[in-house]
This record gives sequence, structure tokens and C-alpha cells, in this order.
Amino acid sequence: MADSHIFAPDHDAPVEYMRRTRDYYLALGYDNPYRWAHYTDAPFQPLTRALADSTVALITTAAPFQPDKGDQGPGAAYNAAAKFYTVYSGDTAVDHDTRIAHIGYDRKHTTATDSNTWFPLPLMRRFANEGRFRLAPRFHGAPTNRSQRVTLETDAPEILARCRQDQVDAALLVPT
Amino acid sequence: MSLVARHLERNGIATIIMGAAKDIVEHAGVPRFLFSDFPLGNAAGKPHEPDTQAFTLDLALKVLQSAPGPRTTVQSPLRWSEDGDWKLDYSNVARMSADEVARRRAEFDKAKQTALGQRQKAGAT
Repeated sequence: MADSHIFAPDHDAPVEYMRRTRDYYLALGYDNPYRWAHYTDAPFQPLTRALADSTVALITTAAPFQPDKGDQGPGAAYNAAAKFYTVYSGDTAVDHDTRIAHIGYDRKHTTATDSNTWFPLPLMRRFANEGRFRLAPRFHGAPTNRSQRVTLETDAPEILARCRQDQVDAALLVPT
Repeated sequence: MSLVARHLERNGIATIIMGAAKDIVEHAGVPRFLFSDFPLGNAAGKPHEPDTQAFTLDLALKVLQSAPGPRTTVQSPLRWSEDGDWKLDYSNVARMSADEVARRRAEFDKAKQTALGQRQKAGAT
């Protein structure tokens, strides 16, 4: 089939979240815009062994459900009380109830009724059982406290240390 | 999350990010990125669709194995819906009334206070 001369609408392209967010907070009256992390280079570490022989860890920004911290969805409003401030880890052999009410996800078009869209641990367990890779014994939760300094100096080194303890070769990171 | 990926990668752990905010992840600069053009919250596939979730994880693993170098972005061919009109809604002030903007401002102030209190309690300031 050949391409037609009828193009997709211009707005049907990846959302410019940084611009949208800046404009949004300016309209709300905040003129001290957030600076997103920005580097001109990026590191690269090829997989050192076959995927089937590699240990893969899941890193998530989702939070464990905390019944005492107010409404955490589905459909909950933004709930800053449900944030967490230190790295947490969980046993990948069992299921976990994780939520994203503490994050600015798309509340109009995402119902947040299926945690598999932000926390694919059950599926990773299935793939691991099929021999696709080895699942690390723990997954890790990365705080989203908006302090990039804390992320760089505290949280990222802590996650690295825990991955090393588990002899992790590769990590799948799923931000929300 | 991009900062965590960079830190792990630099220390010998290969990483792949599954994400839906293309500009933010690419602005940071990461080793490997599987982009799904979906509303935020669905980086791992569509809700209640095990097939699209499995497709997404499978593609992420392929990118993990085959990326030729850093800043490799692969865009998932999956579509959220037939049209892309959902993209016009997220935090779009052009689509909000003055009342709506005022309501959101009050909501944001409240959330900021809560987060500040939490952060102080956690000693994370």
C-alpha cells in the first residue's frame, strides 16, 4: 500500500509535555519553571551476556498502596501524601498492590484500573518462567520527590547498590 | 527515572526505559528508550489488554538487546485510539475556563503544602 497525500493531523504527534507543563504553571501564576534534567551525552553499557542468562530488575515510580494515606485511585485526584521519599524494594516472587495517585499521570484518559500498565511485574515473572531472562529477586521503587539532587546523590546510588547485591545485569525502568 | 537509568548504565548495568513522555526522556538523554505514544500511566501497555502489554515488554527486551548505541529511541507501533485527540487534553490551558484554572491553582497549592510537610517529615529537604 502506498502513502496517501492525506496526512495525519499535526497535533497527532508525541505530546510536548515540557512546553505544556511550563505553559500550564505560567497560567496558574507560577513563573519559576521546573528545569527538567538535561544532558547532551548518554552512557552506554551493552548487555554482557545473552538475555536468557541475564538477571533483569524492574525499577518503578509506583508507590506501595498505603491505606492510611487517602484516596489512591483508580480515579483518585493527585495525592501528594502518597509519595515516598526513600528507595523501597519488594519480593518479585509475590504480587504487590502498587498505585500511581502520587504522580501527575493523565487523569482524563487513564483510568488506572489495571496496574499492569505501569507495573509489569506479573508479566515479567511470566517471561522469566518462559526462559526469556532471569528475574531479579527484588524490584525497586524510585522516589519522585522532584529534587534532582536527591535523585542523583542518594536514590540512584542506593538503587545501584541494591541491584549489585542482586547481581543484576540489566534494568527495566518504568516511569509514570 | 532517566537519572537512575544513566547512573545504572554508567556503572555496568544495561537499562531500558519504557515511557510515554518522549520529550522529557529524550531531553534527559538515556541509553535506550521504548516510547509508547499513550497517555501518561500506560508505559507498559494498554489497560486490560494483556496482548498489548506482552507486545510492549517483548519490544522493550528487543531494544535492550539490539540498541546500537546510546540515545536509541524506538517508538511502539501501537495506537492508543484511532484518532489522537486525547493528546490535546493534558494540562492544556487553552482548553480550560478561568474557573477551572483557579480551581487547579487552589488544588496545586494544597498539594504543594502536603508534599512539603511530607518531605520535611522524611528529612528529605
